[in-house]
Amino acid sequence: MRSVLLRSVLPPVAALFALLALWEGGVRLLEVQAFLLPPPSAVFASGVKDASQLAASAWVTAEAALAGFGLSALAGALVAVLLSSSRLLERALYPYTLFLQTVPIVAIAPLLVLWFGPGQRAVAASAFIVSVFPVIANTLSGIRSVDPALRDLFRLYGARRLATLLKLELPSALPHIFTGLRIASGLAVIGAIVGEFVAGFSEGTAGLGILVLASYRQLRTDLMFAAVLCAAGLGIVLFGAVSLAGARLLRRWHPSAS
Amino acid sequence: MKKVCWVGVLWCLSALAAGCNREKPAPAAPAGEGASAPAATKPAPAKLKLALDWVPEPEFGGFYAARETGAFARNGLEVEVLGGGAGAPVPQMVATGKADFGTTSADELLVARSRGADLVPLFAVYQVSPMAIMAHASRGITSLEQLLSAGGTLAIEPGAPYTVFLKKKYGFDKMKVVPYSGGVARFVADKEYAQQCFLTSEPLVAKKQGAEPVVFKVADEGFNPYVTLVVTRRELLQKSPEQVRGFVQAVREGWRSYLENPKPANDIMAKLNTAMAPETFAEVAEVQKQLIETDETRAKGLGVLSRERFETLGQQLVDLGLLEKAPVVDEFLLPEFTGVGSAPAK
Repeated sequence: MRSVLLRSVLPPVAALFALLALWEGGVRLLEVQAFLLPPPSAVFASGVKDASQLAASAWVTAEAALAGFGLSALAGALVAVLLSSSRLLERALYPYTLFLQTVPIVAIAPLLVLWFGPGQRAVAASAFIVSVFPVIANTLSGIRSVDPALRDLFRLYGARRLATLLKLELPSALPHIFTGLRIASGLAVIGAIVGEFVAGFSEGTAGLGILVLASYRQLRTDLMFAAVLCAAGLGIVLFGAVSLAGARLLRRWHPSAS
Repeated sequence: MKKVCWVGVLWCLSALAAGCNREKPAPAAPAGEGASAPAATKPAPAKLKLALDWVPEPEFGGFYAARETGAFARNGLEVEVLGGGAGAPVPQMVATGKADFGTTSADELLVARSRGADLVPLFAVYQVSPMAIMAHASRGITSLEQLLSAGGTLAIEPGAPYTVFLKKKYGFDKMKVVPYSGGVARFVADKEYAQQCFLTSEPLVAKKQGAEPVVFKVADEGFNPYVTLVVTRRELLQKSPEQVRGFVQAVREGWRSYLENPKPANDIMAKLNTAMAPETFAEVAEVQKQLIETDETRAKGLGVLSRERFETLGQQLVDLGLLEKAPVVDEFLLPEFTGVGSAPAK
């Protein structure tokens, strides 16, 4: 058991240390100016010094990201179910869901502020737009890949549409759904940060996006790096939470959760 | 973890490449020798880059005029003007050699210096800071203090020195503060919206779109740094002082020419910045004159810098918590740019 843990944990940790050493050494050796690329020691120091600010900001961003992600999960699943009910509907509407994936959020964010007003609602909307498509695509794919034999079985037993959906399609599609949710989790954080650049409140409860802007403006690149790493960490935490939930739900009967 | 590693590696490599890529200084045009050299062998003009911290607008008119009227060429220089925009990292660009000269504000210069960028100020276009906050006149607000306690939205750049100054003086608790990224679209659409602006720019554009703005200058509140301040890195000043002096001389001539006749430079800038109408360019050029020409510039020359103002500013930034200690002005402000001992070059 211990050797398994070591084998999976040691290599990435060792790689991280090697990277940090290379970064620190490189910056010192080449005398790169601190406001261009701070060494890891400076970023770490800033993380410690400004820990409370980073934590508070991370919490604000997390709220909006979670709201957007939750909405994505719900709305995404609903849209996928709707599209799966008719091939014609799917052919007609699927390309427009693709639009949600490809629209450049940086360009849309100001519009969101115009419609929702500045603050968490616009930021959550931004997180939603960026993260909804993977949920739709993967859920739809999952529903469509139900074993035809099982479908026939349900039809033979005269199952109603709703029963087929709830007892066959959604449980079958669960692994796909969780794949979509895992992808959406990271995207939701990105969407929240980008939304904050344009719509975030910059006083009182300021999120990580605002912190990045303010620290960049004051040439505090070490704090900016710390904020960026926090954002990445937030994405990882959300990703981990979704993965864990998926593993729990699928543990008993699907090979994808080993 | 792996995700962070890859991003970190790519970032480091690209940032290291950027940091290491200190461009070699432009080949020094022997301007000194050129004067006495025979006319047949004219030295090639030195190629230099000027980075602007905003899109081409009348605040930069003198630079384009210097190029068009041949002022740069007369001083042995060929200058490429790089337009900027929101978030243009001018101090970083000049510090790393991506540009030889740049425009920034005096407060940003002091902050950049405190972070290790050895930049030196040369010429201040705006002697009075045009930084202002504009709101809708229909709200009946008569002072900035009243505005900041009246509620509504305020769009202002997070982390900027004037933001920190106003926050310290009046507090932002009653306002919904959001980042400012340029333009007046949201201002025109929302009566409860207030935003930062340049006295000479956004209010005029807003008026054109049918809004009635009332403008409050930040300088009136006691924060008055030089704006559109030309800076360079000390390295260039030490290696090629004649180029730097020639640049400043040409810029002074360019601004003199622009103040007298802004049209040629305005035409060029209007092509580069189609968001501003040509008539607006002319209006702004007229309105900004009072900020550029003051009694001090009439006595000592356009763009002159003052020791006392830098000292005051340094102390203000320390009080705002943006600098750890007050900078020693003599370390970066050279007497020749304060109008000391030089006849005002008209």
